[in-house]
Amino acid sequence: MADQNRSNKPSRKPNSQTKMKKNEEYEFCAVCKLNHNQGRRHNYFPNHVKSLSAFLARFQSKLADVRFFLKNPSLLRPEHASRNRLWCAFCGSDIDGLGSTFACGNAITHLASADHLKNLKGFLWKYGGGMDHVDSFRVSEVDLARWEKKCKLLKTDGASDGFRGVVIGPVNDIQLNSENIDTFDKNNIQSLNSSFSNGVVEPLQIYTNERYQVSHEIFRVQELGPLRQDADSYLHVGTQLDKNACSSNYFTGLHNLTQISSIVCGDATGNVHSGAPPPWLDSSEGKQVDVKRSPFNKSRKCSKLNPKRVGAAWAERRKVELEMEKRGALATNFDANWLPNFGRVWQSGSRKESMKEFEVETKKSSKVETQCEMPMQLQPYVSKKM
Amino acid sequence: MSYVLRTLRKKQEVDSIIRDTIDTVLVLRFGRASDPICLQLDDILSKSEREVSKFATVALVDIDSEDVQVYVKYFDITLIPSTVFFFNAHHMKMDSGSADHTKWVGTFLRKQDFIDVLEAIYRGAMKGKLIVSCPLPPQQIPKFQLLYKDV
Repeated sequence: MADQNRSNKPSRKPNSQTKMKKNEEYEFCAVCKLNHNQGRRHNYFPNHVKSLSAFLARFQSKLADVRFFLKNPSLLRPEHASRNRLWCAFCGSDIDGLGSTFACGNAITHLASADHLKNLKGFLWKYGGGMDHVDSFRVSEVDLARWEKKCKLLKTDGASDGFRGVVIGPVNDIQLNSENIDTFDKNNIQSLNSSFSNGVVEPLQIYTNERYQVSHEIFRVQELGPLRQDADSYLHVGTQLDKNACSSNYFTGLHNLTQISSIVCGDATGNVHSGAPPPWLDSSEGKQVDVKRSPFNKSRKCSKLNPKRVGAAWAERRKVELEMEKRGALATNFDANWLPNFGRVWQSGSRKESMKEFEVETKKSSKVETQCEMPMQLQPYVSKKM
Repeated sequence: MSYVLRTLRKKQEVDSIIRDTIDTVLVLRFGRASDPICLQLDDILSKSEREVSKFATVALVDIDSEDVQVYVKYFDITLIPSTVFFFNAHHMKMDSGSADHTKWVGTFLRKQDFIDVLEAIYRGAMKGKLIVSCPLPPQQIPKFQLLYKDV
């Protein structure tokens, strides 16, 4: 027994709390979000257990979406890409929806990756999560394979649907479109330039039989293969884009795009290229001014003085009096003996007492005769309204 | 400094300025124009009067005038310069660590001190407090001895 005591390593945690424990270094628990020096014991504290279960539950609910798409993969639309962000709590990294063809594609591949698994296991070990939960936070290889198969099916299915008419889109759309257009008899796409990034324009060489896709709002340039198109007519269309018609046609040749006849109407009022002023400046100037004014009104209302401020009641009354005096209605009923509300230095009780004291003192000093003090006469209560 | 700041010599003037200053702090300096410390205080007051004009009014009261002696007694002014603060005709007290909370005795070390004190009073008054604590550190507050009933 004595040997055991002697061979107690200093790093071993003491069993009883009455023993002097060596001061552990402070470490940060990411679950409870606090620094503690309790070492491994911290994981068993009830607060930690609670925080951990809450933390894991929260993450699980975020993964629920991902799980849904794992079972039913669907194509990722560009407008939803920005909603696809996920913060992996175990790896401490952001996973966003850029570059994924399918909803939560990036997230699914991340959750299936070996790195994620390693981080997940490390996290659970560090914070005592229970290693049986590992599988609920990752995507197994079997699931991943199943998902990928479904994705492939989707891709091939989607080709026969035809061009969806979404003109502005990120890389994934272009990839899809390339597959779609491949099936067209007429079109023959040679190459796809996949060096896109959000919002970066890379002007590519214009060939006479190549197309350009110009978006006035997002300024992305897309190069598709040669098509049986008259380049001139296409370019004419491209430059005549109305700023309102974001879904206006770029490819007049493709029969599945809707043609907007605003090109004809647009000439009369002018457009960006003709140097005409934008419509919002012309017509809605009145609206703009109104918008400017209403916040002013609001700010005026909000700057109403605090009704609890010192002397608020007096101030309101005084304002009314001054108004009336301005109009000449009220004669100044000015009392020469008026004294402001003042609390004296050696004051006990309320400030009115100091006023009374003062008045008594002044009366005393003004009395010429040295008379004994008369008993105070009882007077009806008259409140001294300031 | 009378060309910059109003000097009041009558009780009625003092009364009217107290009653007419609505929703702004009224600073009444009781003192003598010839006294050196009063002069320094007046200098600070006149320099900052315009800057604080949106929430404060500054006026000087000449204690040598007969009419004002009522106030000299009422406000217990024994040392000059003494500055009394009012808000909506209510007297504002400030606890600056000295014995007398009802007024500010002496001058300010710098212009910013005065503005800080004024701001503290204004904020307190807007919240409905009749007494506020002084924002200045003790070394910037002038020290004085308060006599109790001539003792």
